Amino acid sequence: MTTATTERAVPARPGIRLPHGLIARAPLLVFAVLFVYIAVRAPEFLDGQSIFSILRQSAPDAILACGLAVVVMAGGDDIVSGGIDLSLPAAATLGVAIMADRLVSGESFPSALALAVAAVLVVGVVNSVLVVVVGLTPLLATLATSVAVVGITKWTSANRRITVSDDTVATIRDGSVFGIPVPALFAFVVFVGFWFGIHRTRFGVRLQAVGGSRAATEISGLSVRRYLGTSFPLAGVAAAVAVVVLIARGSGLSPGIEDQLLLDMVLATFVGAAFSPRRVVTVPGAMLGALLVKALGSGFQLLSIDIFKVGMIKGFLILLVVASAAAEGRQR
Amino acid sequence: MTTEPVPTATTDAAPAAGGAVHESLPARRSWLNALSRFGFLLVFGACVAVFGVLSSSFLQLGNLLNILDGNAVLLIVALGMTLVVAAGGIDLSIGVALDFGGWLAIVGMMDYRLTWQSALLVALAAGSVVGAFNAFLVIRLGVSPFLATLGTLFIGHSIERINTSGGGQVAYYDMPQGYQNLATGHLLGIPVPVLIAAGVLVVYFVVLERSVHGRRIHALGLQPTAAEVAGVRRSRYLWFAFVFASATAAIGGIILTAELRQFTPLSGFTYLLDAIAAVFIGASMHPRQRPNVVGTLVGVLFLGVVSNGLNLIGMDFNLRAALEGIILVAALALAVAQRRLAHGWPS
Repeated sequence: MTTATTERAVPARPGIRLPHGLIARAPLLVFAVLFVYIAVRAPEFLDGQSIFSILRQSAPDAILACGLAVVVMAGGDDIVSGGIDLSLPAAATLGVAIMADRLVSGESFPSALALAVAAVLVVGVVNSVLVVVVGLTPLLATLATSVAVVGITKWTSANRRITVSDDTVATIRDGSVFGIPVPALFAFVVFVGFWFGIHRTRFGVRLQAVGGSRAATEISGLSVRRYLGTSFPLAGVAAAVAVVVLIARGSGLSPGIEDQLLLDMVLATFVGAAFSPRRVVTVPGAMLGALLVKALGSGFQLLSIDIFKVGMIKGFLILLVVASAAAEGRQR
Repeated sequence: MTTEPVPTATTDAAPAAGGAVHESLPARRSWLNALSRFGFLLVFGACVAVFGVLSSSFLQLGNLLNILDGNAVLLIVALGMTLVVAAGGIDLSIGVALDFGGWLAIVGMMDYRLTWQSALLVALAAGSVVGAFNAFLVIRLGVSPFLATLGTLFIGHSIERINTSGGGQVAYYDMPQGYQNLATGHLLGIPVPVLIAAGVLVVYFVVLERSVHGRRIHALGLQPTAAEVAGVRRSRYLWFAFVFASATAAIGGIILTAELRQFTPLSGFTYLLDAIAAVFIGASMHPRQRPNVVGTLVGVLFLGVVSNGLNLIGMDFNLRAALEGIILVAALALAVAQRRLAHGWPS
């Protein structure tokens, strides 16, 4: 696809004129260069242990990013008026708070989980109602629910750390099946489920069509409200799974984890768009984005780069990825 | 699975179509239309009444001034956000501009012995630089405003952390009295921050709602292509919007640092969600759902009143956070739902 576009005459434009393929692949090249650099400077980066630790750590972000990808695909990738769900990390954190609270008061793992999952799904349904029935834009609706859900989390947990010492939680945190960490298995199952559901079924293709052009899908007789409305509870399912890996990763609830999750989720999802041929958000892209972002973070840690500088590098990465996508769009 | 009418059902077409619907409404509908515009004000009034009944001190002049004083910074930030959203963008890094403004003003006075007046100029310049960076990303590189300013947010927070050894406060207790008066002084019995916010409000009202310049910005936000075809230079107005909004946020940073006599890294981030909420509450009251200066003022006052009222009732801090959020969701839903009721519910 890229070769076809390179052959087309590119109109002379003032400003940056780089070979088309180079711009299109700039984000991939930068990721590759960074990884090679890290691997050369810190060979232990490629150890099995280090890779498994990356898989383990990136599971919550990857799961949330898959959920966000579905909402973006159904609502369109114009962020202000299109689909976005900023409340996913808040909802997952609420689930963690409820579950940690129940576990500490002696409830069994399944019943605590059931309550947490129910709460997370309710947030998804509320978002769906606000967007489809009431008519708020997804950005505004999920922003508002995220404020409300963070508040409810503070209220239920009294804004303190809750440490959980449940056997099942410890197993999920430290266990592995056939050498693969359990959190990574959770992420993999979510990924396969969402990938199949969105990229390989009629429902999924229609959902993508709604996001691609709302007016065109409506004219062709599909109910936009149905697909848009389904995307939020679907993302809620991802957030519900994220509850399990999050409570395992933190051995309970640490207040304020939703802020970092939000930034990483958005970063992973939109960085992932750079890996799709049409530069659109996809489920595999989001998954890959989450892995790469976490791998970079862990690589910088191995190189003992100042942790505060990692935020800056992430910021420049987002800008690089989206700027190259925009530059490519202009050259077409 | 029925086919729906295209223009009214799609949310993204609603602002554009809203105008036409508004003009052609039959007369008997006009009271419903008025209700939909002012429905939010009714909710607001009900909140004030409830708090007035539940707390004897709520409606006292001192407390009302308190609400204004406590929300002056939020109003200033929200006005900046209104400008960017009106131009069709969004600025997630507005808190970074606020932080940089207050931070560099303090560093300028403390380490470079600047007078406090020139420190103010430094603050405005620092804010403008953040805005100019955003504008460069959006206009020259063609990045979408959401992602561009998200990147700026990451970078800005990182710079703040690196230079304050991980987020430590920069205290400056013997700051010049003139600078400190910007937050703690009174003029004719009114706190200075309220006067500054009022001044910013007037400037924004004139620029955005009463000038050709503002018309063009609104046109760009509503229909960028049409505006450009009609001869509006998109890049010029976007530059203005991003830089002016960030410089405005820096004023908020000045007040904040003057009040606390220190700079707290990442403090601007706490205003981001409230500022966006205020802008959109305001937009939901506009006949064409446009962000507007007066609406933003109402939005900020609403957030301030709810927070202050729940506090006076003596509610637990954490429960208050939950209730504030739920009231925000309900109020937004009501404001938008009433509008839909008046303009006809889509199938």
